[in-house]
Amino acid sequence: MQITFDQVSHIYGKGTPFERVALHDISFTIPSGSFVGIIGQTGSGKSTLIQHLNGLLLPSAGTITLGDTVITSKQRLPHEQRRNIGLVFQYPEHQLFEETVAKDVAFGPSNFDLPEAMVEARVKEALEIVGLDYEKVKDRSPFHLSGGQMRRVALAGVLAMQPKVLVLDEPTAGLDPMGRQSILEAIYRIHQEQKLTTLLVTHSMEEAARYADYMLVLAQGTIALQGKPDEIFMQAERLRELALDVPETVAFVSRLNQLLPDKESLPNSVYREEELIAHLLERLSVPKEG
Amino acid sequence: MLQNIAIGQYVPGHSFLHRADPRSKLLFIILFATLVFLANNTVTYAVLVAFTLYAGLLSRLSLGYILKSLKPVWILIVFTIILHIFLTKGGAVYFQWGWFTVEERGIQQAIFISLRLGLLVVISSLLTLTTSPIDLTEGLERLLGPFGRIGVPVHEIALMMSIAIRFIPTLMEETDKIIKAQTARGANFTSGSLVKRAQSLIPIAIPLFVSAFRRAEDLALAMEARGYRGGVGRTRLHKLAFSWRDAGIAAAGVLLAITIGWWRA
Ligand SMILES: Nc1ncnc2c1ncn2[C@@H]1O[C@H](COP(=O)(O)OP(=O)(O)O)[C@@H](O)[C@H]1O
Ligand SMILES: [Mg+2]
Repeated sequence: MQITFDQVSHIYGKGTPFERVALHDISFTIPSGSFVGIIGQTGSGKSTLIQHLNGLLLPSAGTITLGDTVITSKQRLPHEQRRNIGLVFQYPEHQLFEETVAKDVAFGPSNFDLPEAMVEARVKEALEIVGLDYEKVKDRSPFHLSGGQMRRVALAGVLAMQPKVLVLDEPTAGLDPMGRQSILEAIYRIHQEQKLTTLLVTHSMEEAARYADYMLVLAQGTIALQGKPDEIFMQAERLRELALDVPETVAFVSRLNQLLPDKESLPNSVYREEELIAHLLERLSVPKEG
Repeated sequence: MLQNIAIGQYVPGHSFLHRADPRSKLLFIILFATLVFLANNTVTYAVLVAFTLYAGLLSRLSLGYILKSLKPVWILIVFTIILHIFLTKGGAVYFQWGWFTVEERGIQQAIFISLRLGLLVVISSLLTLTTSPIDLTEGLERLLGPFGRIGVPVHEIALMMSIAIRFIPTLMEETDKIIKAQTARGANFTSGSLVKRAQSLIPIAIPLFVSAFRRAEDLALAMEARGYRGGVGRTRLHKLAFSWRDAGIAAAGVLLAITIGWWRA
């Protein structure tokens, strides 16, 4: 589903002494099927931005277009449309409430009047996508799982609605490195398999570099930079001004390029860890000559 | 959606009223409430209204925002006005239609009683608008201190109050977040039968309780880890201290009391 923001602004607490402009004049277009990394300091407006995507917040000004649906300050998103946009909040495990894992994951799909058999199939599928064994966890209380498992259950709860757009607000916050990696891999897998449009909010440049094919950099409620990751990473100066860092791989390549003669320098488009390793190995394996 | 409820409506600032001691503000309000009930003619009410407006200026908040505090009671005020206009009799007759009359005393009482209500609400919201809840409970604790000697657990009550007040915004934020998250999962809180709607509160209530208990546990642990053992022997980081502002408030109180006493009928 294509997503377009046209001059969107959002003001919290309009008309009170607590009035606060959280988003100002945001415009971008995300083609269907993209994996977008949204990055920025705490308080830059990331969470506010993504809550507009399924109509939880309405823009104070401007227009949002989701596929064929238009959202403005006066036009809400119809209820049936909500299931197309799967929104995973920060610390989603804080929203678990059912007696059993299976019931909790079923909450989303049941709200859209699906037949029971279909709901069960979806629950099973969703739990398996996030790497949990359906038979083992379905009857357990979600409150007795480990933190990482709870996070997975919560994620499954959104995936079970089978959204076309998946929006994740810092899904790895507070997890250990292993947990981070595996949850992101699961997300990336489903993004590819089901051809989702995915928006990942993160403040790790590494995470963005690894998965995103488009990036939005937010600063103080405006878009400071947007573009393909390699275009963003080229502007290392600007990123530093925004108190953000380029990923380690990019820093490594640029340091290496300073040492190499110009015609042998590495291309900027190599910034994913695996690609970089492959590239370097290829360079280093000197063809055997007689 | 929940920001509109005005609990703990403190607006930080540096005005005269913000910097005055909470104890003098509290004592002044008690005096003011007494004076409002003593006022009984045009002059005394005019003095009180003028004084309240001046106090509003001293808070450096916009008048419109201060008057918003009347919103929850406006129905009560309108009701009072109607009741007095229709039922209170006496003095000149302004309007007559069959047995139904509107008379001078009715109009007068309608104005006075609604002013009385309005003044009380506005002046006490000036207190909560300019005093942080923490200062407020500390002021209360100090004022009620003497009752501690007769066995009232003043410190514990004050602590409970400040913790409760401290967590109201947090819990409201949490509620807001949970409502949003469940809405994103397709929950619908606004349509369906009454039973359905009551049921739809479960996905909000349970996570909210879980998080409240988690917070309570964390807080208890953190307080204990830092050596909290109750009120005995505790010293304070911020000592309340009277200043020239409080002398000003006291003077205003005395002046106001004399004025009202002199001019009331
Ligand atoms: N419910 C709210 N009411 C008022 N202000 C808010 C609310 N939520 C966020 N803000 C403010 O909006 C700004 C952007 O916040 P947010 O979107 O949460 O940023 P991020 O997710 O990038 O950390 C912050 O300054 C924050 O204080
Ligand atoms: Mg956020």
